[in-house]
Amino acid sequence: MQLLNSRLDPARSRPTGAPLRAPGRRSRRRGLPPGLGFTLPACLFVLAFMAYPLANLLYLSVHAYAPLRSDEVRFVGAENYSWLLRSDEVRESLMVTLAFTVTSVALEVVLGLALATLLARQLIEARGRLGRLLAKLCSSVFILPFAAPAVAAAIAWKMLLHPQFGPVNAALGVEIAWFTDYPLPAVVVADAWKTLPLVLFLLLAAILSIEPEQFEAAQLDGASFWQETRYLTVPSILPVLAVTTAFRAVDAFTKIFDTVYITTGGGPGRDTQVFPLLIWKTAFSHLNFGQAAALAVVAIVIALVLGGPLLRRSS
Amino acid sequence: VSAVFSRRRAVGRSGLVLVLLLVALATLVPVAWMLLTSFKPEQAIYEVPPRWLPSRWTLEHYGALFTRWGFGAMTINSLIVASGAVLVSTLLGALAAYGFARHPYRGSGTLLALLLLTRMVTPAALVVPLYLLMQTLDLLNTLTSIVIGITILNLPFVIWMLKPFFESVPREVEEAAAIDGLSLARVFWQIALPMAAPGLVTVLLFSFIGAWVDLLFGMSFATTPEAMPLTVGLLQMQTGYKIYWGPLMAGGVYLTLPTFLLAFALQRYLLRGLRLGY
Repeated sequence: MQLLNSRLDPARSRPTGAPLRAPGRRSRRRGLPPGLGFTLPACLFVLAFMAYPLANLLYLSVHAYAPLRSDEVRFVGAENYSWLLRSDEVRESLMVTLAFTVTSVALEVVLGLALATLLARQLIEARGRLGRLLAKLCSSVFILPFAAPAVAAAIAWKMLLHPQFGPVNAALGVEIAWFTDYPLPAVVVADAWKTLPLVLFLLLAAILSIEPEQFEAAQLDGASFWQETRYLTVPSILPVLAVTTAFRAVDAFTKIFDTVYITTGGGPGRDTQVFPLLIWKTAFSHLNFGQAAALAVVAIVIALVLGGPLLRRSS
Repeated sequence: VSAVFSRRRAVGRSGLVLVLLLVALATLVPVAWMLLTSFKPEQAIYEVPPRWLPSRWTLEHYGALFTRWGFGAMTINSLIVASGAVLVSTLLGALAAYGFARHPYRGSGTLLALLLLTRMVTPAALVVPLYLLMQTLDLLNTLTSIVIGITILNLPFVIWMLKPFFESVPREVEEAAAIDGLSLARVFWQIALPMAAPGLVTVLLFSFIGAWVDLLFGMSFATTPEAMPLTVGLLQMQTGYKIYWGPLMAGGVYLTLPTFLLAFALQRYLLRGLRLGY
């Protein structure tokens, strides 16, 4: 997610103006603009470890390179791409990733919005020390899933949903192997637990930036909590809501990895083999770098097409 | 009439508080269960039906992390990776953000846009060619390779975070310092950087968390125990035929503790970073 709320940051509203000119002799003597000196280290770093690898990715995607079979790098033209178009595995993976993205983003936005409105009410209206403490406590609780490493969260969920000695099955009185019988919903829930706070905090910040007088006016008019939410809160935060949803969707589609790798490993079969995992496995399990490169190019193009305009709009 | 309204509102409100409390409690369950399980003796973990509280509290799994699973050395690895990533990305990012904010030159706007666009690159896609590059550079199975991978993904965020801070430093202050004879480098170091301190704290927080939780680069670049971070070490307890639940739970708690404490202590800065989009 990138710059969701630039308007709220006072620092950004100030015009940049003309570049700062130092009257020092050094900058005038040397012909190079001083900005170049400051930005050069980062640019070189990006050139070496981002631009070059990406160029190499394009190169590899039209070559056959599978070091397990042969060390030779052979030009094959569009062969990797035509494999990608024909492959059932790739198509399934795209569908699984799409299903994952839609369900998890929907879950996060609906729950996130509901919790954010509830929490905002509490934070605004809480009277007395106990009320305020309670509101603070609730918002603090959500730092935990955010800060928990995805690796740790994934093993915690694996334990929680364990068929024999997991507490969820014990509480429900069933013996379901969640990650085998309902792999995608189980992965969605485990991942949503981790990413929900992000959505929640962003929407909460947006709601808290609505002028309190507007809520007071609504209450004087006798609006119910539901009416207030429907006609005041949601319309006011709609831009933030839209951008948050879009960015979460791009991130869910292109970055889901740790949770799936640890809980299901992409299985059973290929039921949860999301796209990033497919790229990784093609490269590091099957050691087919040509095909992996073609997949990676597709992933990056999807991310740029979906996310590029967003980035531009929000900056 | 208004009294009736406000009483109904009050009842409604306490109902909503209850919902909120229940959700908050439910959110804690996964980690709470992991924490409690990590203190259970081995056979109690496999008890059916499971019980919340350990019948006997034990630290044996935490001991095993260090005696059997090499967590001592891996902790040092993770700390080196995290501090390396924090240091390199903050240094490169702060310099670049200051340059873009204060000394724009021809083409710098395009350059910045391109740098920020790399934020969209799928990590799992980048790791493939980056692995081959590390192989060429003979950096596989080193902590350096992991630091580079994490830093390259983190850099756009750092620049994006810090640039507005440098823009908000009053121009007059910098100009006065320059007239007093301070070189551009010293203006950056002594005037601009301290004024961007809140942004730097946010950047440090997010960079540390990002590096500490990394799995992708760690497991792709490091296959020998000498270069393994904690996240990859934890996965060793999940073998094909046996999962060592006790140490796994203890390791999960151990891995979560530093990032949680940091995020909790610095929650003011957390929201700022989230808004800018990590």
